[in-house]
Amino acid sequence: MEDKAILRRFKELEPLEDAWKQWQRTRKEFEEAVSLLNDPATSSDPEMSQLAREEASSLSTSLESLVQNTFPSLLIPPSSTKHFSALMELKSGVGGSEASLFLADLLRMYQRLANVTNWRATIVAKNDTEGSGIKDATVEFKGEGAYDALRWESGVHRVQRVPATEASGRTHTSTVAVVVLPLVEEAESSPEDDLFTMAEIKLEVMRARGAGGQHVNRTESAVRLTHIPTGITVSMQDERSQHQNRRRAFQVLRSRLLDLKLTREMEERRNVRRNLVRGADRSEKIRTYNFAQARVTDHRIGLTLKNLDSVLEGDGLQTFIDAIAKHHEESLLADMLEPEDTK
Amino acid sequence: MLLRLLSSSLGRSQAARELRWMQQARDSGASCLSLEDMVNRRLTGEPLQYILGTQPFGPLNLLTRPPVLIPRPETENWVIKLAETLSPTPSKPVTLLDLGTGSGCIPLLLCHLWPPGSINAHAVDVSTHALRLAEDNAKLCGFPSRSSEEKPHNTFSSHKANFLAQDFSQVASRINPAFDIITSNPPYIPFDEYLKLSPSVLNFEDPKALFGGPSGLEFYHAIARLVSSKDILRPDAMVALEVGHNQARSVESIMRATGRFRLTEIWLDPWGKQRTVIAHV
Repeated sequence: MEDKAILRRFKELEPLEDAWKQWQRTRKEFEEAVSLLNDPATSSDPEMSQLAREEASSLSTSLESLVQNTFPSLLIPPSSTKHFSALMELKSGVGGSEASLFLADLLRMYQRLANVTNWRATIVAKNDTEGSGIKDATVEFKGEGAYDALRWESGVHRVQRVPATEASGRTHTSTVAVVVLPLVEEAESSPEDDLFTMAEIKLEVMRARGAGGQHVNRTESAVRLTHIPTGITVSMQDERSQHQNRRRAFQVLRSRLLDLKLTREMEERRNVRRNLVRGADRSEKIRTYNFAQARVTDHRIGLTLKNLDSVLEGDGLQTFIDAIAKHHEESLLADMLEPEDTK
Repeated sequence: MLLRLLSSSLGRSQAARELRWMQQARDSGASCLSLEDMVNRRLTGEPLQYILGTQPFGPLNLLTRPPVLIPRPETENWVIKLAETLSPTPSKPVTLLDLGTGSGCIPLLLCHLWPPGSINAHAVDVSTHALRLAEDNAKLCGFPSRSSEEKPHNTFSSHKANFLAQDFSQVASRINPAFDIITSNPPYIPFDEYLKLSPSVLNFEDPKALFGGPSGLEFYHAIARLVSSKDILRPDAMVALEVGHNQARSVESIMRATGRFRLTEIWLDPWGKQRTVIAHV
């Protein structure tokens, strides 16, 4: 475990070392170019002196870029959540069956994104509606960086379109709420950073089984966990055995508690640094998918892509995710560079 | 359409779940039946577990085959609890006897949960169907009948025998001279309750795995006879018996009456029923 921590630290410091080495190398080259320029032998040769001038100027630009761009970006602390996988919960909101149909579209969009990014996407729980809609779904995305990328998807997604089921051709507005939680593997969480104790958990099985035992062979495996200190409850009934449902339920509970912890830490940081992007306010409308105009707008950064299909296919979605992540980094940086006394 | 058909007999949410499990079994290649065939069989009352051919049991995924008793969640629960109660090791291994093993679920889950080389399990059943299924499950889970020299293994062996027979204690002694643990989920349904069982139990699962005689307690008396005979139980041995919803007290007194146990306890199942009688030598 200790070795692993050291290795991780090593890896985190790599960009720092790289930048420093590059700075030293470039500086040395610059000094050489300058001394060449000052050499009487060079100044007597017009061609040589021209070359040396160009070299020095180009190196000076490199140095400037290192100071202005590379060094400040190193100030951003490495993401502590980089190795987390993600657990995504989607719930249909206003709009009835149309919202359920849109949820199915979003689910497909995220599965396609997972294909491109090589995360393993698994549907953990899902409630279908009549027709081909989905009332709610829970999906896990396993892979490094899944949480850091998908966390920006938390919030309300709005669709404006004429539903397939609407005969009059009127445009409807429906919503789907997305919550993305960090996912930790059971094996990864060491006892010291465990988020709860078994004494804090109330475990219930749902539905009566009458006499039970040999008398009943119906598959009734639903379980419900309550984390007493926070009141968080998790119900799971999608697996065929109680043992599996219990494991799934504990996994979801662990994600919710970790999310709570991360949110709290972010709040604390925000009290110190007021510029930080507002964290996941899950009731906030973050994006609109407008089918009539084939455009998607992200309301947080005011970015509109006029290629709805590409977003739903996953490629355009990547553009949004990258843009928001960049925005987040920039505001982190702006905040750090702000003089202490103006805070 | 299939969902509507299933809903009429199972209720909507249960039907939706079962249909999804059928789809998963088909898509994963675990079943070569069509969805229509599966639904039609389910509509006749056939248990889902026979149609899919498997049932998860703890972390294991066991084979199920008619008419062998399908592993129940109540059993899964107490076996996991038993596995957590004891901690055998390769240097201090235990020998176990499971009476009426059926699919083999009890000894196989213990073999899975305990470290390699810490348990030698012997399973007994009167039904050849059950023994064949238990052996298939043992193979699937990777437990050989004998330990190899170079690498410690948990072992599972099966034996055809009727533990109601008067001379069963001699049979048991031949299997192994003495045991550290005896487990059993014997047939325990009494006559009057047997007739009221749901069709999917009554018409599909083996009566020999369910019917416990007129009182439902016949097999517990046979187990009491077995543990009373000399040398079957080792010092510090333990007996764990699953019981019907209202039998725990009766079975507890049957076990106490043998005079072999210093302590008995009753475990509840997740639904609050007294499900398991534990007796300590």
